[in-house]
Amino acid sequence: MKSESRRFRAVDILYILMMILPLVFCIVLKVLTKPLSEGIDISGALVYFTIKMPIQDLPVTESQVNSLMVMISILGLCLYLTHGMGKGQLKTRHHIAEFLVGKADGLVKSNMDEHFRNFGPFITAILALSAFSSLISLLGLYPPTSDVNIVGGWAIVVFVLITYYKAICGPVQYIKSFCDPVLLAPLNIISEVATPISMAFRHYGNVLSGAVISVLVATGLQGLSKMIFSFLPGFLGNIPFLQIGLPAILSIYFDVFSGLLQAYIFAMLTMLYISGGFPAELFNKKKIKKI
Amino acid sequence: MQSLDVISINLWQIIISLLNLLILCLIIKKFLYKPVKNMLSKREAELNEMYNTANDSIKRAESDEAYWKEKRESAQAEAEEIIEEATSSAKMRGEKIVAEAKDKAEGILKRAQNDAELEMEKAQDTIKREIIDVSSALAEKMLGREINIEDHRNMIDSVIEDIK
Repeated sequence: MKSESRRFRAVDILYILMMILPLVFCIVLKVLTKPLSEGIDISGALVYFTIKMPIQDLPVTESQVNSLMVMISILGLCLYLTHGMGKGQLKTRHHIAEFLVGKADGLVKSNMDEHFRNFGPFITAILALSAFSSLISLLGLYPPTSDVNIVGGWAIVVFVLITYYKAICGPVQYIKSFCDPVLLAPLNIISEVATPISMAFRHYGNVLSGAVISVLVATGLQGLSKMIFSFLPGFLGNIPFLQIGLPAILSIYFDVFSGLLQAYIFAMLTMLYISGGFPAELFNKKKIKKI
Repeated sequence: MQSLDVISINLWQIIISLLNLLILCLIIKKFLYKPVKNMLSKREAELNEMYNTANDSIKRAESDEAYWKEKRESAQAEAEEIIEEATSSAKMRGEKIVAEAKDKAEGILKRAQNDAELEMEKAQDTIKREIIDVSSALAEKMLGREINIEDHRNMIDSVIEDIK
């Protein structure tokens, strides 16, 4: 019994390390590779190395690595939360896992129709990946969501799902859905194509603009404090006193609030678009046809 | 080390992130949803089982109650019957005993009466004999001669008969 509990604890520690170590690895990588910069520096992700590929070279960037590490962290979190579940007494973490699953299922249930019941894992994955990718900037890391490629990939998944569920009722139904008023068919097609682009750019733009504004405010405050406190003797004049306070509040807004909000919006739009493309009456009709 | 432009679209990066999302979806399905759903279904099964056993117990308790109620009523009736029987048998026996005692007492009384009568007769006999003896002695004395006892007796007997 005791050795088993010790083993249980050892596995627990392994999972916690699995959560923390990738993030530590990211921070170390960033510290080692980040070039020193002065003044305003707004650029994309750092490129670690480039792999030769057909069509286009693949640069392995900070955002790719960070997003992979976030995934490993989420895997560790999932394993930790469900470790020992179903055996013996329920622990707090099992209740947390149950709560999370219940909340995600509730969200799916309230926004999608009955036949999309098994969309829970997908929506949870979008929420978790987006939220954690944005929150990673709290550690000073480059948030993968401010890279258009990352969010673009998610948006393409959503677009494929929307198209799949629209096309599932047959090509006639699919074409008919664009010609609701026949004259507006081109506009409908444009809006259909615009859906993933708008989703990707909304998320990416929000996170990136938050980062840009943070950098601008910090730099501006630095200049301002240099101007005001330059009369102080020695190194005291070089300390940017005004940088204390305001950037922290901005970080709460742009990193925490905006990141979580964008994750929620992205998941919400996903659910609405997918369930809008395949409403219940079509589902029932298709079912009847099958029978 | 150079960095990417703020907006730079790369096909492979998009594909990788797309696959990342799908992989994470599978991870969450396998490692978060499956255990939780398993636990929930297990809990539901446990709860159903509990309810079933509770219902069974209630049903059994009800049937037991009815059974025991019936039993109690029958036992009560039996007890009443037994008491009645006992009282009646006791009464009967008492009456019997009393009758027996009465009989016995009567027997004793009769015997006593008989005895007394016998005794009286005996006493009468004795008195008679004594009177005979005394009177014969007296007469012997008075007459101065021996009287034939047989005659004498007969004579006295007749006298006593007369007296009687």
